Amino acid sequence: MTYPDPDDPAHPARPSVRPFLQSGPMSAGGYRPTPGNEPPADDQASTLRPFVITSGRTDGADPDIGMETQVSVNHAAMPMRLSPEMRAIVALCGDPLSVAEISARLRLHLGVTRILVGDLRAAGQLDVHVLDNETPDPETIMRVIRGLRAIT
Amino acid sequence: MDFEQSPDHFVGTARVGSSAPKKAPVPVKIIVAGGFGVGKTTTVGAISEISPLTTEAEMTAESVGIDNPGQATMKTTTTIAMDFGVLTIDQTLKLYIFGTPGQSRFAFMWDDLIKGALGGLVVVDTARIDDCYPAVDYFERAGLPFVVGVNTFNGQMNYSLEEVRWALAVRDDVPVLSYDARFRASVRDALLVVLDQALDKAIRARST
Repeated sequence: MTYPDPDDPAHPARPSVRPFLQSGPMSAGGYRPTPGNEPPADDQASTLRPFVITSGRTDGADPDIGMETQVSVNHAAMPMRLSPEMRAIVALCGDPLSVAEISARLRLHLGVTRILVGDLRAAGQLDVHVLDNETPDPETIMRVIRGLRAIT
Repeated sequence: MDFEQSPDHFVGTARVGSSAPKKAPVPVKIIVAGGFGVGKTTTVGAISEISPLTTEAEMTAESVGIDNPGQATMKTTTTIAMDFGVLTIDQTLKLYIFGTPGQSRFAFMWDDLIKGALGGLVVVDTARIDDCYPAVDYFERAGLPFVVGVNTFNGQMNYSLEEVRWALAVRDDVPVLSYDARFRASVRDALLVVLDQALDKAIRARST
Protein backbone atom coordinates (compact mmCIF):
# COMPACT_ATOMS: atom_id res chain seq x y z
CA MET A 1 0.00 0.00 0.00
CA THR A 2 1.48 3.32 -0.98
CA TYR A 3 0.46 6.88 -0.48
CA PRO A 4 1.14 9.83 -2.74
CA ASP A 5 4.02 11.86 -1.44
CA PRO A 6 3.01 15.50 -1.34
CA ASP A 7 6.65 16.48 -1.70
CA ASP A 8 7.14 14.47 -4.85
CA PRO A 9 8.12 17.03 -7.52
CA ALA A 10 6.59 14.88 -10.25
CA HIS A 11 3.16 15.12 -8.66
CA PRO A 12 3.08 18.27 -6.61
CA ALA A 13 0.10 18.79 -4.40
CA ARG A 14 -2.03 21.63 -5.59
CA PRO A 15 -0.96 24.70 -3.66
CA SER A 16 -4.53 25.47 -2.72
CA VAL A 17 -5.02 22.07 -1.13
CA ARG A 18 -2.00 21.54 1.07
CA PRO A 19 -2.60 24.45 3.47
CA PHE A 20 -6.00 23.04 4.41
CA LEU A 21 -4.41 19.84 5.61
CA GLN A 22 -3.37 21.57 8.79
CA SER A 23 -5.50 20.44 11.69
CA GLY A 24 -6.59 23.97 12.37
CA PRO A 25 -6.08 27.48 11.12
CA MET A 26 -4.00 28.35 14.18
CA SER A 27 -1.37 25.67 13.57
CA ALA A 28 2.14 26.85 12.94
CA GLY A 29 2.61 27.43 9.26
CA GLY A 30 -1.06 26.98 8.68
CA TYR A 31 -3.12 28.76 6.09
CA ARG A 32 -4.05 32.27 7.02
CA PRO A 33 -6.57 34.04 4.88
CA THR A 34 -5.61 37.51 3.85
CA PRO A 35 -7.77 40.15 5.50
CA GLY A 36 -10.94 40.84 3.58
CA ASN A 37 -10.63 37.57 1.77
CA GLU A 38 -11.69 35.26 4.56
CA PRO A 39 -14.13 32.51 3.83
CA PRO A 40 -17.48 32.97 5.52
CA ALA A 41 -17.57 31.52 9.00
CA ASP A 42 -20.31 29.09 8.12
CA ASP A 43 -18.47 27.86 5.05
CA GLN A 44 -19.71 24.34 4.56
CA ALA A 45 -16.25 23.17 3.54
CA SER A 46 -15.12 23.65 7.11
CA THR A 47 -17.24 20.70 8.19
CA LEU A 48 -15.31 18.44 5.90
CA ARG A 49 -11.84 19.86 6.13
CA PRO A 50 -10.36 17.48 8.74
CA PHE A 51 -11.27 14.52 6.61
CA VAL A 52 -9.40 15.83 3.56
CA ILE A 53 -6.46 14.03 5.14
CA THR A 54 -8.35 10.76 4.94
CA SER A 55 -9.42 11.33 1.34
CA GLY A 56 -12.85 12.16 2.58
CA ARG A 57 -13.45 8.95 4.51
CA THR A 58 -15.35 9.60 7.71
CA ASP A 59 -16.24 6.06 8.58
CA GLY A 60 -14.75 2.65 8.04
CA ALA A 61 -12.40 3.09 10.96
CA ASP A 62 -11.20 -0.26 12.21
CA PRO A 63 -13.52 -1.31 15.08
CA ASP A 64 -10.47 -2.75 16.85
CA ILE A 65 -9.08 0.76 17.23
CA GLY A 66 -10.58 2.37 20.29
CA MET A 67 -9.53 5.60 21.94
CA GLU A 68 -7.42 3.87 24.56
CA THR A 69 -5.97 1.29 22.16
CA GLN A 70 -2.19 1.18 22.34
CA VAL A 71 -0.23 1.73 19.16
CA SER A 72 3.48 1.38 18.53
CA VAL A 73 5.92 1.45 15.66
CA ASN A 74 6.54 -1.80 13.87
CA HIS A 75 10.32 -1.76 13.91
CA ALA A 76 10.49 -4.42 11.24
CA ALA A 77 8.42 -2.39 8.79
CA MET A 78 9.69 -1.73 5.31
CA PRO A 79 10.40 1.95 4.76
CA MET A 80 7.77 3.70 2.72
CA ARG A 81 6.66 7.15 1.75
CA LEU A 82 4.07 8.58 4.08
CA SER A 83 2.02 11.74 4.31
CA PRO A 84 3.21 14.28 6.89
CA GLU A 85 0.40 13.37 9.26
CA MET A 86 1.26 9.70 9.05
CA ARG A 87 4.94 10.43 9.53
CA ALA A 88 4.09 12.41 12.65
CA ILE A 89 2.03 9.53 14.02
CA VAL A 90 4.83 7.03 13.38
CA ALA A 91 7.35 9.39 15.00
CA LEU A 92 5.21 9.65 18.15
CA CYS A 93 4.75 5.94 18.61
CA GLY A 94 8.31 4.84 19.36
CA ASP A 95 6.90 3.82 22.73
CA PRO A 96 3.33 2.54 22.89
CA LEU A 97 0.80 5.35 22.94
CA SER A 98 -2.98 5.46 22.94
CA VAL A 99 -4.97 6.66 19.96
CA ALA A 100 -6.50 9.40 22.11
CA GLU A 101 -3.03 10.69 23.06
CA ILE A 102 -1.94 10.69 19.41
CA SER A 103 -5.04 12.68 18.54
CA ALA A 104 -4.46 15.17 21.34
CA ARG A 105 -0.75 15.64 20.79
CA LEU A 106 -0.98 16.08 17.02
CA ARG A 107 -4.21 18.04 17.26
CA LEU A 108 -5.77 15.69 14.76
CA HIS A 109 -9.44 14.96 15.05
CA LEU A 110 -10.15 11.66 16.73
CA GLY A 111 -11.96 10.22 13.73
CA VAL A 112 -9.12 11.23 11.43
CA THR A 113 -6.56 9.72 13.79
CA ARG A 114 -8.40 6.41 13.94
CA ILE A 115 -8.56 6.17 10.16
CA LEU A 116 -4.89 7.06 9.70
CA VAL A 117 -3.82 4.60 12.39
CA GLY A 118 -5.90 1.95 10.64
CA ASP A 119 -4.19 2.75 7.34
CA LEU A 120 -0.74 2.61 8.95
CA ARG A 121 -1.63 -0.71 10.52
CA ALA A 122 -2.75 -2.07 7.14
CA ALA A 123 0.51 -0.80 5.64
CA GLY A 124 2.46 -2.67 8.33
CA GLN A 125 4.01 0.49 9.78
CA LEU A 126 2.25 0.33 13.14
CA ASP A 127 1.38 -2.43 15.56
CA VAL A 128 -2.09 -2.03 17.03
CA HIS A 129 -2.26 -3.92 20.30
CA VAL A 130 -5.69 -5.46 20.26
CA LEU A 131 -6.80 -6.93 23.57
CA ASP A 132 -7.66 -10.62 23.73
CA ASN A 133 -10.71 -10.10 25.88
CA GLU A 134 -12.87 -7.10 25.29
CA THR A 135 -14.43 -7.04 28.71
CA PRO A 136 -12.03 -6.64 31.61
CA ASP A 137 -11.53 -9.65 33.83
CA PRO A 138 -11.82 -9.51 37.65
CA GLU A 139 -8.05 -9.87 38.11
CA THR A 140 -7.36 -6.78 36.01
CA ILE A 141 -10.02 -4.81 37.89
CA MET A 142 -8.47 -5.89 41.20
CA ARG A 143 -5.11 -4.59 40.03
CA VAL A 144 -6.68 -1.23 39.15
CA ILE A 145 -8.35 -1.10 42.57
CA ARG A 146 -5.05 -1.84 44.34
CA GLY A 147 -3.28 0.72 42.20
CA LEU A 148 -5.85 3.41 42.93
CA ARG A 149 -5.83 2.67 46.66
CA ALA A 150 -2.08 3.17 46.65
CA ILE A 151 -2.26 6.78 45.47
CA THR A 152 -2.67 9.58 47.92
CA MET B 1 13.13 13.55 15.90
CA ASP B 2 14.52 11.47 13.16
CA PHE B 3 11.49 11.75 10.94
CA GLU B 4 12.26 15.43 10.55
CA GLN B 5 15.88 14.83 9.70
CA SER B 6 15.38 12.22 7.05
CA PRO B 7 15.21 14.10 3.77
CA ASP B 8 13.65 11.28 1.83
CA HIS B 9 10.82 10.87 4.33
CA PHE B 10 11.56 7.24 4.92
CA VAL B 11 10.80 6.02 8.34
CA GLY B 12 11.71 2.88 10.12
CA THR B 13 15.28 2.36 9.07
CA ALA B 14 16.68 4.80 11.60
CA ARG B 15 15.04 2.89 14.40
CA VAL B 16 16.58 -0.49 13.82
CA GLY B 17 19.06 -1.22 16.55
CA SER B 18 17.56 1.20 19.04
CA SER B 19 16.73 -0.04 22.51
CA ALA B 20 14.19 -2.80 22.75
CA PRO B 21 10.66 -1.47 22.32
CA LYS B 22 8.53 -1.30 25.42
CA LYS B 23 5.76 -3.80 25.72
CA ALA B 24 2.41 -2.13 25.28
CA PRO B 25 0.47 -1.82 28.54
CA VAL B 26 -3.08 -3.07 28.83
CA PRO B 27 -5.37 -0.03 28.72
CA VAL B 28 -8.52 0.11 30.82
CA LYS B 29 -10.90 3.04 30.99
CA ILE B 30 -13.53 4.71 33.08
CA ILE B 31 -16.02 7.15 31.56
CA VAL B 32 -16.86 10.38 33.37
CA ALA B 33 -20.10 11.81 31.96
CA GLY B 34 -22.27 14.75 32.80
CA GLY B 35 -23.59 18.08 31.57
CA PHE B 36 -21.48 21.12 30.78
CA GLY B 37 -19.73 22.68 33.72
CA VAL B 38 -20.54 20.02 36.29
CA GLY B 39 -16.88 19.27 36.94
CA LYS B 40 -15.95 16.52 34.51
CA THR B 41 -12.64 18.10 33.53
CA THR B 42 -11.88 18.91 37.17
CA THR B 43 -12.56 15.28 38.05
CA VAL B 44 -10.29 14.00 35.29
CA GLY B 45 -7.56 16.49 36.18
CA ALA B 46 -7.66 15.64 39.88
CA ILE B 47 -6.81 11.98 39.33
CA SER B 48 -4.71 12.09 36.15
CA GLU B 49 -0.92 12.00 36.35
CA ILE B 50 -0.74 14.31 33.32
CA SER B 51 -2.65 17.52 32.73
CA PRO B 52 -5.83 16.49 30.98
CA LEU B 53 -5.42 16.24 27.25
CA THR B 54 -8.14 17.24 24.85
CA THR B 55 -9.12 15.37 21.76
CA GLU B 56 -11.66 16.66 19.34
CA ALA B 57 -14.26 14.69 17.52
CA GLU B 58 -16.49 16.25 14.96
CA MET B 59 -20.03 15.27 14.18
CA THR B 60 -19.96 14.01 10.65
CA ALA B 61 -22.56 14.89 8.06
CA GLU B 62 -24.11 11.51 8.73
CA SER B 63 -24.45 12.14 12.46
CA VAL B 64 -25.81 15.59 11.82
CA GLY B 65 -28.43 14.06 9.57
CA ILE B 66 -29.52 11.72 12.33
CA ASP B 67 -29.61 14.56 14.80
CA ASN B 68 -31.58 16.82 12.47
CA PRO B 69 -33.62 14.56 10.27
CA GLY B 70 -35.74 17.30 8.74
CA GLN B 71 -33.00 19.78 8.09
CA ALA B 72 -30.48 18.03 5.93
CA THR B 73 -29.63 21.24 4.14
CA MET B 74 -28.80 23.09 7.34
CA LYS B 75 -25.68 21.24 8.29
CA THR B 76 -24.03 22.60 11.34
CA THR B 77 -20.78 21.33 12.68
CA THR B 78 -20.37 20.51 16.30
CA THR B 79 -16.91 19.90 17.52
CA ILE B 80 -16.88 17.96 20.71
CA ALA B 81 -13.94 18.42 22.96
CA MET B 82 -13.29 15.43 25.10
CA ASP B 83 -10.88 15.63 28.00
CA PHE B 84 -9.05 12.64 29.22
CA GLY B 85 -6.36 11.72 31.69
CA VAL B 86 -4.06 8.82 32.38
CA LEU B 87 -3.05 6.99 35.51
CA THR B 88 -0.28 4.43 35.23
CA ILE B 89 -1.12 1.56 37.55
CA ASP B 90 2.10 -0.27 36.70
CA GLN B 91 4.28 -0.95 33.66
CA THR B 92 1.66 -3.24 32.17
CA LEU B 93 -1.58 -1.51 33.12
CA LYS B 94 -2.81 1.98 32.37
CA LEU B 95 -6.08 3.56 33.45
CA TYR B 96 -7.62 6.11 31.10
CA ILE B 97 -10.31 8.45 32.36
CA PHE B 98 -12.45 9.98 29.62
CA GLY B 99 -14.69 12.94 30.30
CA THR B 100 -17.52 13.08 27.82
CA PRO B 101 -20.39 15.50 27.26
CA GLY B 102 -23.58 14.02 28.63
CA GLN B 103 -26.06 15.47 26.18
CA SER B 104 -28.04 12.96 24.17
CA ARG B 105 -27.00 14.62 20.92
CA PHE B 106 -23.49 13.35 21.55
CA ALA B 107 -24.68 9.80 22.12
CA PHE B 108 -23.48 8.74 18.67
CA MET B 109 -19.97 8.52 20.05
CA TRP B 110 -20.79 6.77 23.29
CA ASP B 111 -21.02 3.34 21.67
CA ASP B 112 -17.34 3.58 20.80
CA LEU B 113 -16.46 5.09 24.12
CA ILE B 114 -18.04 2.55 26.44
CA LYS B 115 -16.79 -0.46 24.49
CA GLY B 116 -14.60 -2.31 26.97
CA ALA B 117 -15.03 0.37 29.64
CA LEU B 118 -14.85 -0.72 33.28
CA GLY B 119 -17.63 1.60 34.33
CA GLY B 120 -18.92 5.13 34.43
CA LEU B 121 -19.16 8.00 36.84
CA VAL B 122 -22.12 10.30 36.17
CA VAL B 123 -21.30 13.70 37.58
CA VAL B 124 -24.29 15.62 38.92
CA ASP B 125 -24.70 19.24 39.86
CA THR B 126 -27.74 19.44 42.13
CA ALA B 127 -28.61 22.82 40.65
CA ARG B 128 -29.13 21.18 37.25
CA ILE B 129 -29.97 17.58 37.92
CA ASP B 130 -31.68 16.96 34.59
CA ASP B 131 -28.39 17.53 32.70
CA CYS B 132 -27.33 14.03 33.63
CA TYR B 133 -30.48 12.14 32.57
CA PRO B 134 -29.18 11.16 29.10
CA ALA B 135 -25.98 9.70 30.54
CA VAL B 136 -27.90 7.73 33.18
CA ASP B 137 -30.32 6.46 30.53
CA TYR B 138 -27.50 5.46 28.24
CA PHE B 139 -25.39 3.68 30.86
CA GLU B 140 -28.48 1.80 32.11
CA ARG B 141 -29.41 0.63 28.64
CA ALA B 142 -25.84 -0.30 27.78
CA GLY B 143 -25.51 -2.31 30.98
CA LEU B 144 -22.40 -0.41 32.00
CA PRO B 145 -21.77 -0.41 35.76
CA PHE B 146 -22.03 3.17 36.94
CA VAL B 147 -22.13 5.39 39.96
CA VAL B 148 -23.88 8.73 40.39
CA GLY B 149 -21.47 11.23 41.88
CA VAL B 150 -22.87 14.49 43.17
CA ASN B 151 -20.14 17.07 42.89
CA THR B 152 -20.31 19.17 46.02
CA PHE B 153 -18.92 22.50 44.93
CA ASN B 154 -17.72 24.06 48.17
CA GLY B 155 -19.56 21.43 50.13
CA GLN B 156 -22.90 22.75 48.93
CA MET B 157 -25.74 20.48 47.97
CA ASN B 158 -29.20 21.71 47.20
CA TYR B 159 -30.68 18.27 47.66
CA SER B 160 -29.85 15.26 49.78
CA LEU B 161 -28.48 12.12 48.16
CA GLU B 162 -31.81 10.43 48.78
CA GLU B 163 -33.58 13.20 46.90
CA VAL B 164 -31.11 12.87 44.03
CA ARG B 165 -31.69 9.13 43.93
CA TRP B 166 -35.43 9.71 43.87
CA ALA B 167 -35.13 12.29 41.07
CA LEU B 168 -32.97 9.99 38.95
CA ALA B 169 -34.97 6.85 39.74
CA VAL B 170 -31.88 4.69 39.43
CA ARG B 171 -31.93 1.08 40.54
CA ASP B 172 -31.21 0.39 44.18
CA ASP B 173 -27.88 -1.22 43.37
CA VAL B 174 -26.56 1.95 41.70
CA PRO B 175 -24.58 3.88 44.30
CA VAL B 176 -25.36 7.58 44.69
CA LEU B 177 -22.57 9.37 46.48
CA SER B 178 -21.19 12.83 46.94
CA TYR B 179 -17.61 13.82 46.23
CA ASP B 180 -15.54 16.89 45.58
CA ALA B 181 -14.04 16.96 42.09
CA ARG B 182 -11.22 19.26 43.20
CA PHE B 183 -9.62 16.77 45.54
CA ARG B 184 -7.66 13.79 44.39
CA ALA B 185 -8.54 11.57 47.33
CA SER B 186 -12.23 12.33 46.91
CA VAL B 187 -12.16 11.50 43.18
CA ARG B 188 -10.12 8.37 43.93
CA ASP B 189 -12.75 7.18 46.42
CA ALA B 190 -15.55 7.82 43.91
CA LEU B 191 -13.66 5.86 41.24
CA LEU B 192 -13.09 3.02 43.70
CA VAL B 193 -16.86 2.72 44.08
CA VAL B 194 -17.14 2.58 40.28
CA LEU B 195 -14.51 -0.17 40.26
CA ASP B 196 -16.38 -2.11 42.96
CA GLN B 197 -19.42 -2.08 40.68
CA ALA B 198 -17.25 -3.17 37.76
CA LEU B 199 -15.76 -5.99 39.81
CA ASP B 200 -19.21 -7.22 40.85
CA LYS B 201 -20.28 -7.31 37.23
CA ALA B 202 -17.10 -9.05 36.05
CA ILE B 203 -17.43 -11.71 38.75
CA ARG B 204 -21.12 -12.25 37.93
CA ALA B 205 -20.26 -12.55 34.23
CA ARG B 206 -17.62 -15.16 34.99
CA SER B 207 -19.82 -17.31 37.22
CA THR B 208 -22.57 -17.57 34.62
